Amino acid sequence: MLFNDYPFLLVFLPAALLIYRLADPYPQARIGVLVALSFVFYAYGYPPYVLLLALSIAINWLAALAFGHFKRRWIITAAIVMNLAVLGVFKYANFAAANLGLLLGRPMPHLDIVLPLGISFFTFHHIMYLVDLRRGKAPLYPADRYALYISFFPQLLAGPLVRWSEVMAQFGQTVYSPGWQRRFCIGAAFILAGLVEKILFGDGMSRLLDPIYAQAAAGPLKDGDAWLAISVAVQILYDFAGYCDIAIGLGLLFGVQLPFNFNAPFRAASIQDFWQRWHMTLMNFLRDYVYFPLINARILPRRYLPLQSHAATMITMMLCGLWHGASWTFVLWGVLHGFALMICALWRRHGPRLPSLAGWSLTVSFVLLTGVIFRAGSLEVAWHVFQGLAVLPDLEHGRHLLPLLLAPLAAFLLPASQDIVAFFTRRPNVYLAALVGIAFLALLFELGERDVHEFVYFKF
Amino acid sequence: MSSFISNSDRYPASDWSRCLTAGVRAFLIGVFLLSALIFAVDPYDSGRFGLLGITGVDDKLPYTANASRARDGRFDSAIFGDSTGQLIRPAELSPATAKHFVQLVAPGATPRGHLAILDFFLRHHAHVGALVVVIDDPWCASSAAPSADDRFPYWLYGDSTLTYARHLFSWSALDRVFQRIAIGLGQRKRFAEDGFWSYEEVWPPGSRQPSDAPRPPGPRLTGTVDTVFPYKDRLASVIRRLPSEVALVLVVPPVFHTFLPTPGSQDAAAREACNAAYRIIVAGRPHSNLINYRIDNALTRDPKNFADLIHYRADIASKVDEGIIASVRQGNAAKIDF
Repeated sequence: MLFNDYPFLLVFLPAALLIYRLADPYPQARIGVLVALSFVFYAYGYPPYVLLLALSIAINWLAALAFGHFKRRWIITAAIVMNLAVLGVFKYANFAAANLGLLLGRPMPHLDIVLPLGISFFTFHHIMYLVDLRRGKAPLYPADRYALYISFFPQLLAGPLVRWSEVMAQFGQTVYSPGWQRRFCIGAAFILAGLVEKILFGDGMSRLLDPIYAQAAAGPLKDGDAWLAISVAVQILYDFAGYCDIAIGLGLLFGVQLPFNFNAPFRAASIQDFWQRWHMTLMNFLRDYVYFPLINARILPRRYLPLQSHAATMITMMLCGLWHGASWTFVLWGVLHGFALMICALWRRHGPRLPSLAGWSLTVSFVLLTGVIFRAGSLEVAWHVFQGLAVLPDLEHGRHLLPLLLAPLAAFLLPASQDIVAFFTRRPNVYLAALVGIAFLALLFELGERDVHEFVYFKF
Repeated sequence: MSSFISNSDRYPASDWSRCLTAGVRAFLIGVFLLSALIFAVDPYDSGRFGLLGITGVDDKLPYTANASRARDGRFDSAIFGDSTGQLIRPAELSPATAKHFVQLVAPGATPRGHLAILDFFLRHHAHVGALVVVIDDPWCASSAAPSADDRFPYWLYGDSTLTYARHLFSWSALDRVFQRIAIGLGQRKRFAEDGFWSYEEVWPPGSRQPSDAPRPPGPRLTGTVDTVFPYKDRLASVIRRLPSEVALVLVVPPVFHTFLPTPGSQDAAAREACNAAYRIIVAGRPHSNLINYRIDNALTRDPKNFADLIHYRADIASKVDEGIIASVRQGNAAKIDF
């Protein structure tokens, strides 16, 4: 079910709010009701995969229980391997087979697999919990609470990646405790901000960019359209940040504060700063569960620690790229960002201090250019876009594409959406609230006008 | 990071409650008012709602405007097809056949779209006089699988009121609401009541014509050609339900001679197989005929008679009108002067 579609906004969400309002006075019913609602939400798109989700929850919870009882570390290792294997089969099997076929010089069979929505996200949720359980940081939880951690519908399909410690204690609390009215106002503001980001900016840019990338698939871009094509990273930002803001708002309506995932990344003054602002929950995951273990492992002698650190950065970013999709372009995108982070770290240590504006320009240019590789799907298409940059934009020809310039400007100039929401909800304002109600209505009309676009991160 | 959410608040809960109430109230009042307006007017004049009784639309887009025309009780006969049927004039056909024609072509639509309009037309007319269907190349496709980029509004022509209602909450629907209110107030006029609009208004004679450069010959026929035409089957099943006295004229539209397949080629055989399949639909029906204008003659060799390879001009269109009139009168015994 898509957050930006009528079935969710006009049927599921009001029904879920009503049902949960009825369940709220009964503490023993709260978690069960939310789990049931989350499963209904997940089943809407492709019902058979509810079984996969249920099985995944059951097996991981049983593994945690077995570990709690027998204290055997291999149980957790086996569960993590199983999670990665399931992810591998659904997401990477065809990629691996195609590359193996290239190596062996003969075609390999292609599996006709539909990628289950959100599999990368719920797999990582399992892994975060299991690793912390083995480290002795996480306790055992009852099945219903664990099921809700994995399946909580606002964050089930595309994050944010939530640590068990951030939400477990919030589950099962009454939503209608003192102050719920303010939380609902903030939640509504987040949902509105997310819908604006997604529908007006993300989808609006997508409609203009998709034909340009379709042209790039056929040959080098003409008429300077490539200068507009490089704004695709901004489109991805609005698409994903929009989803996350809606998720945060929905979480608040059900009594759960989810972590923020973006913090105005296009205002970053360095690539390190960028990665502390972009998809922050994924970067926290990679830092804690990939980068730190690689740093802390005694692989190289102590004097080579900086080398190990750079190698850990490269591996982490390569995996970050691969997590986004089974394609060499994603891997290359990750490797390029790994290099940039490495160069940035070396520059900070050995180079002169760079003026903020220069740092910002370099960072934004790098992110925009690598965004082309991320979006293109193949190196050939990306190259066609880069070749097109040799031609200056034809303003007369591309006048209808000018909106593509406005969205990046907003990304460069505006603060993070949570800061905007904080500003507008710092005190109750009835007129503003009425405007929000009218804005929701206007967005519903906008949704009716256009075809519903899937969120980009559903593919990951 | 989320501190502002969990910060203690110095404003009383009742103030925030008032905000929630104001937001929800504004939303619901807006929904109520706009819904009332939309359902009272029925923006596409589809006949499903429309308590105000406004008739017709001022809509330049045939995809959406055809719903209003297709249910207009003044017409009992209709022309369906792509832009290659756009110059067929209801004003010529109606007096000559004693029927009342309306133009329901949908340029750029697939046969699925044309069949949806045909179905809608038939649902709104207990008595049907004649149907003209322009059978151009897409009707000969061997697959009728829906296309992902098909933008035809099937929701407007389907039989689900709920699906239709779901599409009324859009800016373009709201725009048509105000257009129709203006029609009701007499401030605007209906656009093209019989649906006829000539593309020669955009491409006047002499402004453009196809190149006479010969095209490379297609591959020669080897073996057999595909004889599966799913759109033919769909059209046949619709026509089968109609009384045999309903005239049906299938028009294979003329094209510029360079666009014709080379005689003896795979393409020529495929087109002939397609024509033969559609001839079966009209066989045995009086006042029905398939007219194949896709021939090489002096008219189709003159570039002045075409705006491009497939869009013919008024001189040829009048010949097509004559053929349709003759066919409605005499069925397949009609003499086609082309």
